[in-house]
Amino acid sequence: MNKLFRMFAALGLVATLSSGCAVNRATANVDPSANLSELKTMYVKQVPADESTYSLIADKLRSKGVTVTTGTDAPPAGVDAVVTYIDKWMWDITMYMLELTIVIREPKTDFPLATGNSFHTSLTRLSPKEMVNEVVENIYKGAK
Amino acid sequence: MHQHLRAFLLITATSLTLALGGCASPANRAAMTPTDMVVSKHFPYSLSVSTGGGSETGAMDSSNIADADLKAAIEDAVRNSKLFTAIVQGNGGDYELSVRVTNLSKPLFGGTFTVQMETAWSLTRVTDRTVVLRKAVQSSGTATMGDAFAGVTRLRLAVEAASRNNIRQGLAAIAELKL
Repeated sequence: MNKLFRMFAALGLVATLSSGCAVNRATANVDPSANLSELKTMYVKQVPADESTYSLIADKLRSKGVTVTTGTDAPPAGVDAVVTYIDKWMWDITMYMLELTIVIREPKTDFPLATGNSFHTSLTRLSPKEMVNEVVENIYKGAK
Repeated sequence: MHQHLRAFLLITATSLTLALGGCASPANRAAMTPTDMVVSKHFPYSLSVSTGGGSETGAMDSSNIADADLKAAIEDAVRNSKLFTAIVQGNGGDYELSVRVTNLSKPLFGGTFTVQMETAWSLTRVTDRTVVLRKAVQSSGTATMGDAFAGVTRLRLAVEAASRNNIRQGLAAIAELKL
């Protein structure tokens, strides 16, 4: 009987501690005064510690017909928009991208013209490429 | 048998505590409204407000800002400060204010929670569709163990403080305009 209770106790604890809820969120919005189709050249501002997300974003934007350059320095003169991003990573057996926010900004004022955010917890995790695709597609879906 | 009952109760109580401890509540619209705001100008125009970029708060999520709550908080702040003469719903106002949440960075752990927030404020004159303001507003809000012991409550307080500061800065920027 004692063994049975110990087993139930262990199972209950494991179930309680390990049952992470699947939270999924994917949103995007574009400022009413912005027109994304007019933005032909963009500069993806790379986060210095990032090795891959910036290039995934650049590639995805190129697939939308945008001429994209990347770098960690200040954006070059003449670009139509600057793209910034925040990627949050989490560990659960392996590292995965928990949340990605991409912001398309006006170069001179830093004003956010459009924003997209995706949030997927471990059970419904997406690959970094899938996260980037989802966010960028949602931004362009919300555009005029 | 008493021993078994005690073990059962202990497991049940622990499970409930762990499960309920994670429940988050959304940022409260009244708590997001700056109450002591004084502006230098009172524009003789009406204003409509639209918001975006916020999200609802799930039961196992952390505190978020719902679009409707942010809209209500901004409208209340405008009314309280008398920055515009009237708030109108939908079309028909003299000016349209769009406020979009572009970033809400929340800590996962810690004793003191600091939340970073960025919003995009744009104000458009309806008659000729002139954009008279485009501004990125960055703010932060902090809550300590002294404010609330429970982590979920502490995080909500920090989110509300960040939002309150953000609304204050945004309306102050509008008050500097010549409309």
